[in-house]
Amino acid sequence: MKYALFLGCKIPSGLPAYEVSTRAVLGHLGVELVDLEFQCCGYPARNYDRDAFVVAATRNLALAERHALDVLTPCMCCFGTLRHAIRMMTEDAALRARVSRSLADDGLVWSGRARVQHVLPLLAREVGVDALKAAVRAPRTDLRLAAQYGCHALRPSEVTGIDNPIAPTIFESLIRATGAIPVEWPRRLDCCGDPSHEANAPLSGRMTRAKIVDARESGAEAICTACPHCHLRFDAAQAAEPAPAVRTLLVTQLLGVAMGLPSESLGLPHAESQRGVPMSWS
Amino acid sequence: MSTAHPEHYDVAVIGAGLAGMAAALFARERGLSCIQVGGSGGILFASGLLDLMGVHPVVERRTWHDPFAALAALAQDEPDHPLARVDAASIRAAFESFVAALATTGLPYAPLGEGNCSVLTSLGTIKTTFGVPRSMAAGAEALDARSPCLLVDFRGLREFSARQIVATLADHWPGLCHRRIEFPGSGAAAELYAAHLARSLETRDVCEQVIGLVRPLVGDARAVGFPAVLGLARSADVHAAFEAGLGVPVFEIPTMPTSVPGLRLQAALEAAVAMCGVRRISRVDVQTLAFAANDDDATLELGDHPNGGRGERVVARAVVLATGRFSGRGLVADRDRIREPLLGLPVTQPPSREDWHRRDFHDPAGHAIHRAGLTVDHAWRPLDATGTPAWPRLVAVGSILAKQDWIRSKCGSGLAIATAWSAIDHLARELRATASG
Amino acid sequence: MSPALFQTLLVASLALCALGVAWRVAAWFRIRIGPDARIVTAWQRVRRVVVLVASSLFGPRGLRVLGAFCLDALLLRRLFANAPWRALAHLLVVSGFTLLVLTHALAPLVTARLVPGYQPTLEPWLFVRNLLGAMVLGGLVVLVVARWRARSRMGLPHRPRAALFAALLGIVLASGFLLEAHKIASPRAFHRMTDAFAGAADPSALASLRALWAREFGVAFDVHTDTVAADVTTAGRRLHEEACASCHAKPASAFVSWPLAKMIAPVAGTLDAVSADAWLLHLHLLACFAGLALLPFTTFLHVLAAPFSLLLDAAARHGTAPARPLPLAARATRRGLSVDACVRCAMCDLDCSVATLARHLDNRDLLPSHKLVSTRAAANPWRWDAMLRDARARADARRAADGAFLCTDCGRCTDRCPVGLDLADLWDAGRHDLAAAELPAPAAWVRQRPAIAWAESLANAGDRAALDVIDASRAPLAFDRRTFSRCVQCQTCTNVCPVVAHAMNADPRNAADQGVDLTPQKVMNLLRLGLPDLALGSRMVWDCATCYQCQEHCPEGIRVADIMCELRALSVQRLAAVRDMAEPS
Repeated sequence: MKYALFLGCKIPSGLPAYEVSTRAVLGHLGVELVDLEFQCCGYPARNYDRDAFVVAATRNLALAERHALDVLTPCMCCFGTLRHAIRMMTEDAALRARVSRSLADDGLVWSGRARVQHVLPLLAREVGVDALKAAVRAPRTDLRLAAQYGCHALRPSEVTGIDNPIAPTIFESLIRATGAIPVEWPRRLDCCGDPSHEANAPLSGRMTRAKIVDARESGAEAICTACPHCHLRFDAAQAAEPAPAVRTLLVTQLLGVAMGLPSESLGLPHAESQRGVPMSWS
Repeated sequence: MSTAHPEHYDVAVIGAGLAGMAAALFARERGLSCIQVGGSGGILFASGLLDLMGVHPVVERRTWHDPFAALAALAQDEPDHPLARVDAASIRAAFESFVAALATTGLPYAPLGEGNCSVLTSLGTIKTTFGVPRSMAAGAEALDARSPCLLVDFRGLREFSARQIVATLADHWPGLCHRRIEFPGSGAAAELYAAHLARSLETRDVCEQVIGLVRPLVGDARAVGFPAVLGLARSADVHAAFEAGLGVPVFEIPTMPTSVPGLRLQAALEAAVAMCGVRRISRVDVQTLAFAANDDDATLELGDHPNGGRGERVVARAVVLATGRFSGRGLVADRDRIREPLLGLPVTQPPSREDWHRRDFHDPAGHAIHRAGLTVDHAWRPLDATGTPAWPRLVAVGSILAKQDWIRSKCGSGLAIATAWSAIDHLARELRATASG
Repeated sequence: MSPALFQTLLVASLALCALGVAWRVAAWFRIRIGPDARIVTAWQRVRRVVVLVASSLFGPRGLRVLGAFCLDALLLRRLFANAPWRALAHLLVVSGFTLLVLTHALAPLVTARLVPGYQPTLEPWLFVRNLLGAMVLGGLVVLVVARWRARSRMGLPHRPRAALFAALLGIVLASGFLLEAHKIASPRAFHRMTDAFAGAADPSALASLRALWAREFGVAFDVHTDTVAADVTTAGRRLHEEACASCHAKPASAFVSWPLAKMIAPVAGTLDAVSADAWLLHLHLLACFAGLALLPFTTFLHVLAAPFSLLLDAAARHGTAPARPLPLAARATRRGLSVDACVRCAMCDLDCSVATLARHLDNRDLLPSHKLVSTRAAANPWRWDAMLRDARARADARRAADGAFLCTDCGRCTDRCPVGLDLADLWDAGRHDLAAAELPAPAAWVRQRPAIAWAESLANAGDRAALDVIDASRAPLAFDRRTFSRCVQCQTCTNVCPVVAHAMNADPRNAADQGVDLTPQKVMNLLRLGLPDLALGSRMVWDCATCYQCQEHCPEGIRVADIMCELRALSVQRLAAVRDMAEPS
């Protein structure tokens, strides 16, 4: 398995632990990662100018295509955005013509060959739950985790297709493979609130807090995330508190810890989020 | 896409309404590998009540307390009706199995009795049904006994007015009274929506607050009724909390579609299907369905892959067509005729468009268009133009079938579940035979 | 030039420079970028920064901080990582210029005191001066070429008086080389020297001396007026030893001036006649003074601002472990000095995550190098007010501001900046300033008026042409009636929408926390009725979290969330046009 790693904009500056742990875990599992000169996936531009958004997204895909690689991203927003761009390029011939002209200025061509994958289904399906179980050295039977599927990788399912959108199971299977216990929580498929934050911070805050309360009441001690937006949003919502009601843990960190990789290679214990909420998992 | 799932399946179910879901569950129960394609959005129009047979004959609007007696009468009067071809024992077994599957995913139903129940609706009417969710059961009992009952509604939840229900039933049920409360934290909202209230009630804090607001209002009431908003994913827990907190039986009243019970049913069925190992592909249409020359298997070509690549292909030894009627596009009404879009199977229908509808929309006999559909043989196989089965192991189930008017007969769920059961039964035996032979 | 005039000019230009520097440096502590900067006074900033620098340099991690500073400020580590040729050229210019100032300009104070018997016409000064001058000139040429090559389709950001200052520097170097070349070749200079130091020498020795100087010292004698011996005799050599050698080495090692002298040899006499040496000297000095006086007002103030910025950056990154954000006063100061420290190298643009968007949208303010200048301009309240009063300028500013909100805070520009600017912090502060100046993100300015008011503006827009005919190809779903032909208004989308759900708990006392104006199904209904303008200004369109629950659950397969995205992009275009029209100019 070899992929071009698409980190997006949020991870390098806001959540470097996710990059570090992704490389560590995937390296350990034999997935080869290549770094290309990617730019923003275009997510914020989608609200601004449709053509500009598709040009930005498709440029990245064309770049991967030039290197004959598929794209793998740890960010769910990037994943969904790139997939949406593919759909739009496939469905709208006029758009495709306009975008192709723009890309040609940079000497790039898009023919739809580069596929887009996210770290979660890669681990749960391509690597496989059985292989993960076999790689576990230190099962974390002490951890009760709430799996955060997020929105942009799960829905709309005709674009994203990572699992059943109404009753997904791959994240819980993955958590179980590490020995940890996934909790059932009613709001598990709800949005974390991050996309609404710029437009309406109070509303977004309520969305985030509702999930945190729900996770806690369902007995989870941490929310296991697979997207920097969700992760940072949960941290930001609890930043003002002396101790967070529910911690956040990246799926790659969970796996790394269970596979016995050293903490430093996973961004732990200095895994401080943007707001300095420390996490220690000794 | 994933390579972890086998490309070959025993059964491919096309359609994810009640019939398709039932077929998938029953197939797995019989040990058959199964793939299911299609969106389950149609289930959102369900009320949560499982009808078996409520009205027969349709034109007389005669309701029955005993659905099996109704079915017996139906078998005599309309031997071609799909439900006439399934025996009572099978129907009962199908329902028990279906309801058991729902219970495992946190959506328990009241034990299936010998007869139909009468259930209060949010319009103040009384509906006859067979399977009642546990959260609604106490309402059926209270209605039977006409016991003093409190109905509670929420300011802002415009689709449900306790006062209107009480007014509508004033003569039939004098012991009914109504109160309105303010849903916690909703002061700023002019209009509320059932699903949001339901999700909100799954938070301990809110649940306790609402119980606290209602408790002093209970008085002499021997049961308390609410609009169907007691939880979404954890409805059993929320219902139990309400009963414990109020000290009396609590029941939900089904609301207009799309309703919370519909959302629950969709979630429960998707979960049940996932749990029993059905490979599920939603929101992708089947582009083509082709049968192998030697009749060994069928190949389904699915719509465009989400990654923009070629559509996925699936091979199955049997196919269940559960694509429903017009809203789900299982049947398509053109200007002059009705057709079945996937295979072009002949559709039994009125001779011309003029005969589709009667003049009066509310004509008690219903409209001929609703009885159009696929005609099947004893093994549920749709017939082609020559009158023989289109393919040895292609079956059609549910509302796509001809010669039934499920809306007026109040037999929608029964039609779906019973025909799915019987069809899978036939397929299972057929597949065993061909496997060993 | 008389010593008195020289002194006056020197003092005057130094004073101007000092005053200018003081004024600009003061601005770093006074300028308020970002609403939080308003709560710290200039003095608080000064104190805080002094404390910070002192505690970083003399604290437990002082060596690390100092080391980082030296690597970045002196050895230009970051510049080398991104553009090694420019870094090398820059080092040449800086070291060459500094040493020139020390050894040449300040020779009487520095070199003369350190080296006994110093004369500028001796070795190694001839060589060294030329070497240093060549370094500066060579480096300058490389930098100019590199900047020309770095020009992108979007243009490089404007540098205040950079060309002027570079020209002055060029003049200083050119006049210096020319002056030296002229002095080498000038017969009149020779005469002045011989009159002063060899007046009593006999003519034949002088003629021989001239021969020596013609051959080995490059003087271009006019044979009509000066007698030049055929050979260099012993007497001539002895005369040279006695009268000249102690102060003059052979200028062949002046590898720039020497060939230059050869080139101007034919016109040496003419140059003498017009007193070229005086002109060149005056030019040289005046250019120096002018450069000195102008320095604080040009981009070259970065010679002070950049090291200061890098010092603060070193303190921020290495002063504590793990690195903590600096105190507000220090951050405010860093923002204030950003535009002076910025050398407009445009390295920040190289990796910019939204560079493709900038090109496609033809909006330069998306690129960090341009955005920095705009951000700083936004902090000037008088300019801002004046600009906002002009309708056209206002529209342009709005367009630029919209771009500022497309920045994804990826931090690449901050990592690349060779002068250690905290760009991430600057962008954040800048966005707050834009919002306060009525240029917030579209998500915010749309909510300033209710949907119906926007609809009315759209309907009443006098200049329809400005609105653009809605290009249906840009919003294919929203404008295709077939999209909505199956919508039965079942309200499923509204029921599964978390925005509507949580709007239920809005706090009526909080103006920023408004409830729902149009639910998703109402928006779909308006589109179904062919009334998009009634929906465009709705808060729902921007509150939407794009969680796709609506689209996933819709029983009829209507792409509700995709349509919301289209409406957002559409609202930015159409409402922006109306927004400018609605207000008086």
